[in-house]
Amino acid sequence: MTAVLQARAITKSYAIGKREIPVLRGVDLDLHAGEKVALLGASGAGKSTLLHLLGLLDRPTAGEVRYDGRPVQDLSVAERALLRHRQVGFVFQFYHLIPELTALQNVLLARMMGTTVFGYWRQRRRARSAGVAMLEQVGLGERLHHRPAELSGGERQRVAIARALLAEPRVLLADEPTGNLDSETAQGVVELMFSIQRERDLAFLLVTHDEQLAARCDRIVRMKDGTIQGSRPGDVQPEDSAQAD
Amino acid sequence: MTPAFAPFLAWRYLLTRRINILGVCGVAFAVWAMLVVDGVFSGFVTDIHEDVRRSSPPLLLTDLPHDTDYEPLRKVLEADRDVIATAPRLRQHGMVMPFSPRDRGRRPAGSEQLEFDHTRNGFALLLGIDPDRERRIVDFGAWLDGGPAAIARYGGIRPRATAPVQDDPERRRRLQVDDEQEWRARRRAGLPAEDDPADHRSIWPGMLLGWPRVFRLDWVQKGDPFEVLVAAFPRHHAGGPLLRPCSERFAFAGWFGTGHRMFDELTALVPIDTLRQMLGESEFDEDYVELVTDVAIRPRDGLSPADLRALQRRLRAAAQAVLSPDCAPCSVLDWRQQNTTLLAAVDQEHSLMQIVLFVVMLVSAFVIYATLHMMVVQKIKDIGIVAAVGGSPRGIGTVFLLTGTIIAVLGTGLGVLAGVLSAMWLNPINEWIYRISGGRLELFPRALFDLQGIPCHLEPSWIVTVSAFAILLAVTVAFVPARRAARMHPVTALSFE
Repeated sequence: MTAVLQARAITKSYAIGKREIPVLRGVDLDLHAGEKVALLGASGAGKSTLLHLLGLLDRPTAGEVRYDGRPVQDLSVAERALLRHRQVGFVFQFYHLIPELTALQNVLLARMMGTTVFGYWRQRRRARSAGVAMLEQVGLGERLHHRPAELSGGERQRVAIARALLAEPRVLLADEPTGNLDSETAQGVVELMFSIQRERDLAFLLVTHDEQLAARCDRIVRMKDGTIQGSRPGDVQPEDSAQAD
Repeated sequence: MTPAFAPFLAWRYLLTRRINILGVCGVAFAVWAMLVVDGVFSGFVTDIHEDVRRSSPPLLLTDLPHDTDYEPLRKVLEADRDVIATAPRLRQHGMVMPFSPRDRGRRPAGSEQLEFDHTRNGFALLLGIDPDRERRIVDFGAWLDGGPAAIARYGGIRPRATAPVQDDPERRRRLQVDDEQEWRARRRAGLPAEDDPADHRSIWPGMLLGWPRVFRLDWVQKGDPFEVLVAAFPRHHAGGPLLRPCSERFAFAGWFGTGHRMFDELTALVPIDTLRQMLGESEFDEDYVELVTDVAIRPRDGLSPADLRALQRRLRAAAQAVLSPDCAPCSVLDWRQQNTTLLAAVDQEHSLMQIVLFVVMLVSAFVIYATLHMMVVQKIKDIGIVAAVGGSPRGIGTVFLLTGTIIAVLGTGLGVLAGVLSAMWLNPINEWIYRISGGRLELFPRALFDLQGIPCHLEPSWIVTVSAFAILLAVTVAFVPARRAARMHPVTALSFE
């Protein structure tokens, strides 16, 4: 079965002055639908850079990123943005919500990306219903009109998850989504993400430092100095395995 | 096509960021200033043009030699099919001094000029006219009505001056006042007069003064004597040029007001025959000429500008043919050309003021630029978020471009509303300020410009031009920060602290 997302021989280096600093040195990775992959590694190993490249926020110096087997290197900036909107949902460590918007507006923003003003106007009621349902699903049905500053860390991350999923992406990329939460809240957020991933059969790449969390994934990929050191199956818990099947 | 998130975010940013109010206010102020200030200035310029036109003959034959005779010129000029009438004019600078018991023996004619010119009673441009002919060229009746009207406007209580119309053509030509008026004036001035006014026959030629001069001589009554002094080089002096002073007594016959302040202040209308005599021309001389310095001409109504220019050329050629061959070329000027200096100065001021207003508009555009630039800097993280969610660079740039456009449209709308309302209520507001300040404060010093009210001509085309320009300028400057936002790398934006 073709992977939803593939990385082939990806390298990425940044120029600082006249020096080229390599961050990724030939990374290969496959991500299949319904698969949860944990990306582990020390700080500076290149995890976030790889996530950005896979999520089409950046271009590799060399190598290929493929969606459904199709290389995306040659796509224009606008085509990459559209593909990102349709295929990828991002969840970040620091939530990255727009402070001027309410929880519902932040979520609905995802629905406004791939359509014109008139197109959105025609489907505004449907979009709103979907947004409300999404927030209710993440347990924020009572917090629709609160701004990020009025929400707790866990609630903000739930809003970010709802936003990432509203456009019904096939790939969910999470960059240390629990890194800024206390353990109890983090547990709740993780359960929510795993449950939605199962429900929607998403390809899920989770960047984390948490070995225990990584162990709950189908596969663990370790990175060091810009290369993948090894990949092994995670200690998938019985309920996860059953659901995955 | 505009992505849906762009106007949504632009509107949210606009509502939640108070600094944008500064941009809206800046544009509104600039548009308001351009509309009101230029509206007032345009009204002012229009009024000046009307006043200047009223004070000037439609065409004027000028730059004539000092010994030009009117009659041959009249014949050739009136022979043209497009000329309705002509009138002789004789210009001469002189000094005018009211001859009153108060001043008699104390001050010579023109000495007021030494008093820092505060009354303008001294020097005058004596304009010799033939009233019957002049009446056919300019709206002489309106001139005579304009004097009392202007004085009444400034709180003067003089009765309406009767036009110097006499049944006797000769007396009318000399602008003479009634016999009894001159008799009373003589009595007031302590000059010799018959015991019975019925026995008196007026002999002084009349003089019409511009209303500003009369306004300051508030004690002068009709018929009062004025001494007029001129100095000229008579044509007939055998021994070569000799400057000869000549004085004459005139009766104050009334006052006029054309609306052209400079003309009204400086000019004194006198009978042309009297002025000719003062300059040494005597009807009893064999070589007497009807001396003129200019000829006022009324062309046929309805001539197009091109026809008028052609007429000017024809009349100039016809006049030149009558004049001696070796004299300098004469000119035929329309009302604008007669007042080129004043009108050019006013137009120049108008242009300069528009440049100043344009700078005000530029400042408001820079306010928009500054607020949007600051917004882009403060919203770098948002740019990364929107990019991560799938926003295209073009859509991200559109957010900021639309914010600038909304600021410009709102500011322009408010500015137009305020400008139109200000223009409509300018005079009542001015009156109100004048009233509550006890006459110490005025938005626009009407007395300074001899205006009944603040003139304000707000042309719809000007409103449209200013609005379009304001929006275009704001959108142009908004383009720079919008482009910066659009070009921002999503990863850089997301990791911005």
